[in-house]
Amino acid sequence: MPPPSPTPHPSPEQPYAYHPRSTFLWFVAGLRESLSVPGFVLFAGYIGYGGLLQGMNFPFFAGLLSTFLVWALPAQIILVGGLASGVGLLPIALAVGLSSMRLLPMVVSLAPYMRSTHNALWKDLINAHFVAMTMWAEGQRLLPKLPPSGRFTFTMGLGIGLLLISISATAIGYQMAGELPPAMSVGLQFLTAISFTLLMIRGAEGVTDWCALAFGFLTTPFVAGLSGGADLMISGLGGGTLAYLIGRAMRRKRA
Amino acid sequence: MIHLDEWSAILIVILVGFLPTEMWRSLAVIAGRRVQEGSELLLWVRSVAAALLAAIVARLIFVPTGPLVDIPLWLRLVCILCGIGAFLAIRRSVFAGVVVGELVLIGGAWWLLH
Repeated sequence: MPPPSPTPHPSPEQPYAYHPRSTFLWFVAGLRESLSVPGFVLFAGYIGYGGLLQGMNFPFFAGLLSTFLVWALPAQIILVGGLASGVGLLPIALAVGLSSMRLLPMVVSLAPYMRSTHNALWKDLINAHFVAMTMWAEGQRLLPKLPPSGRFTFTMGLGIGLLLISISATAIGYQMAGELPPAMSVGLQFLTAISFTLLMIRGAEGVTDWCALAFGFLTTPFVAGLSGGADLMISGLGGGTLAYLIGRAMRRKRA
Repeated sequence: MIHLDEWSAILIVILVGFLPTEMWRSLAVIAGRRVQEGSELLLWVRSVAAALLAAIVARLIFVPTGPLVDIPLWLRLVCILCGIGAFLAIRRSVFAGVVVGELVLIGGAWWLLH
């Protein structure tokens, strides 16, 4: 059966190797896929986030809840970092909203593959909650190979698996952070930065992507002093728009 | 430092963290049935999303908070560069890059802080 919308990259020619008979087993298959290298990177990243929460004296259960509900590490870091530096709640909400804007294209592009044959809105909304960087990357890789009948429950399994890994890691990182020698806690705090840098490099393809990463990254030291999310507006909105224009100019030139 | 009790923190997580994030996911589900794959609008949103993420990660490196403040900028940058180097050298493995970058940082931090 063909996927409901035509997409260029994920090639469905190699079908998923395992074909469970029942819905429940599709769920288990999804859970099992969450125990992978990206799952481990996520674990490491959230250990770092837990350490960050502890270092900034953020309450424990609210911290775990932030992983479950927000489920987007950059947004969570902006939230906690903003609270720690005493920025107002409204600018923080704005910055969180801006950083989470990237979820929109991710969900739009993954949604056709997370859907089974149904068309129920609430099921789409549930599965959309699981979408963040890791889920998007793994979903792009795995979901197109699945028969549509298994997609919804498989996505649930994969999403819940990744969430459980991350919530446990948040708790472990939080509890560990106070006990570690200083050099180790520095390492923990930096895990997010380094793993995200590498995931971005791995995920980038084409001129637009590379320009967007470079502009977003390189403008930051110059605008970091600006308050109230203005820095993210310039680096993100400005840098991203410029990268888009460059990419479009290149495409036109080739065409 | 954050001075919040558990319940106000939970409220803040819901209002300031969950709502501004989940809004985009829900919007994507509702609007996504109409947005064309590969359309110019989607390409632009994607590009802005990538730049934003890069800016957020760059903030963690250039203007960190917490214990990372004690680590000089050059060491943070060397750690990232070593991580990227290992990633490229070892079959584009994120795991290898993270391990090497972390070893450089923890080693450097241990050496500086002792």
